[in-house]
Amino acid sequence: MTDTKQHPASFRDPAGFIFEHAGKFYRQVNQVYAPHFELFKKSGLYETLASQKKILSHTELDSNFTATGDWYKTLLPEQLQVISYPYEWCFSQWKDAALLTLELVKTSMDHGMILKDATPFNIQFVNGAPVFIDTLSFEEYDASKPWIAYRQFIECFVGPLLLARHHLQAMLKLFQIYPDGIPLPVISKLLPFKAVFNFNVFLHIRLPQLMGSPQNTAAKKQPVFTRQKLTNIISNLHSFVLSLRLPPVTTTWNNYYEETILSTAYAEARMAIVESWLKETNAQTVTDLGTNTGLYAKAAAAAGKFTIAVDADTACIDKLYNECRQQNIHNLLPLCIDITNPSPAIGWNNEERPAFFQRVQADLVLALALVHHLAIGKNIGLQQIASAFSQLSPNLVVEFVPKNDPKVQLLLSARPDIFTQYNESFFEEAFKQYYMISKKTTVPGTERIMYLMKRK
Amino acid sequence: MIAHYLLYIDPGSGSYLVQVIIAAVLGVAFYFKTIWLRIKMFFGGRKKEQPGNQEGHD
Repeated sequence: MTDTKQHPASFRDPAGFIFEHAGKFYRQVNQVYAPHFELFKKSGLYETLASQKKILSHTELDSNFTATGDWYKTLLPEQLQVISYPYEWCFSQWKDAALLTLELVKTSMDHGMILKDATPFNIQFVNGAPVFIDTLSFEEYDASKPWIAYRQFIECFVGPLLLARHHLQAMLKLFQIYPDGIPLPVISKLLPFKAVFNFNVFLHIRLPQLMGSPQNTAAKKQPVFTRQKLTNIISNLHSFVLSLRLPPVTTTWNNYYEETILSTAYAEARMAIVESWLKETNAQTVTDLGTNTGLYAKAAAAAGKFTIAVDADTACIDKLYNECRQQNIHNLLPLCIDITNPSPAIGWNNEERPAFFQRVQADLVLALALVHHLAIGKNIGLQQIASAFSQLSPNLVVEFVPKNDPKVQLLLSARPDIFTQYNESFFEEAFKQYYMISKKTTVPGTERIMYLMKRK
Repeated sequence: MIAHYLLYIDPGSGSYLVQVIIAAVLGVAFYFKTIWLRIKMFFGGRKKEQPGNQEGHD
């Protein structure tokens, strides 16, 4: 059949694949996976995990949309609002994803099954929590064998978390270069010497290194493993991952609203404008660019909008994610994105993982106190900024911070003012090429101007 | 330069021996932990942790 399109990232596992059909994503289960799929249901594993919202739920269909010979079943999974990738997650998101993976292994073992792979690409954040999306990753458990995905788990979860813990959260972006997992030798090389004095780091990172390459350690005659041994390893990994914490950091942005003089009156006035405009546009989905501590993203979420909050400051995103978990905010997804260098398209044919701009669309973009950072901080032309924003959504709430504003003066204090075309009229002219200005208002008590715009 | 060693080998088999050893090390650690807890209990330490409950993640 020609009206189905196989997902470009779904080709590695012969058990099945994802395809698109009439605007929805489906998963085909192939014949070869049939026994595992039946066990997945019969053992009660699917029901347990789906009811705990640890895996994506699905409806079984008996229609062979793709008309392939090895078809066994078609699944219609719960549709995802947005796809995010691990290299866009903060430390805590990554850690929660790791813990989920280990819990899945444990629950699977209780049901006579096991996870055959452990990549964070199989996890998405749905309703504020990590959810496993690859239904075909479970196979029958053979208690005489260890965990086939152990090394993958170390390279995909433990390694990145350790690098972030010992250096910077930004180290998590290494995953963009090593999407199959950061190789153990690389992790080992990058970890500081003192890290090895941790028993678990020694056990899971250094010891495999000391034992040599996998070729040497692939025993010809493999000794028998036991369920208890694997349970011990999984429990140990769980408490190890749980114990990993970031050292406290103070960045330029993570206490911005708490510290800055701009705080209360300004923030409240701006909030009132944003809230009334959000209502007016009737937008259902919002992307907040340069979200900072997420004040306005949280307001959008509280107004019932599904909100994606992005910022280049990973500490801010980590803080926001933890706040969302604590306050049970389910419709806000924080992501570490530098809007001046958003995630590119990566993987086979550059098609496996699409670029941020191709992937994340919303009804409305919020760009508050952002344009001056792009225009003056990064020398990006106003027209280029307008063009980029217009690719993300049909509606835009944008703030223009004039040159005489103290924050802009701060940006200009260490550099010559080459920005002769940075003013209100040039700003409007640039944005009018892509948008119609529907509303314009000055934030009371400041000279900052807020605009509500609609894409042409 | 890091060689891409995984290409010629089943990713699971490479970690087989590693997991055997890790399981053994954890077994020994667990054994000493049990003894240590018994000693602590003998000297009137509070019965804080059951040795069988190694997960501690609930």
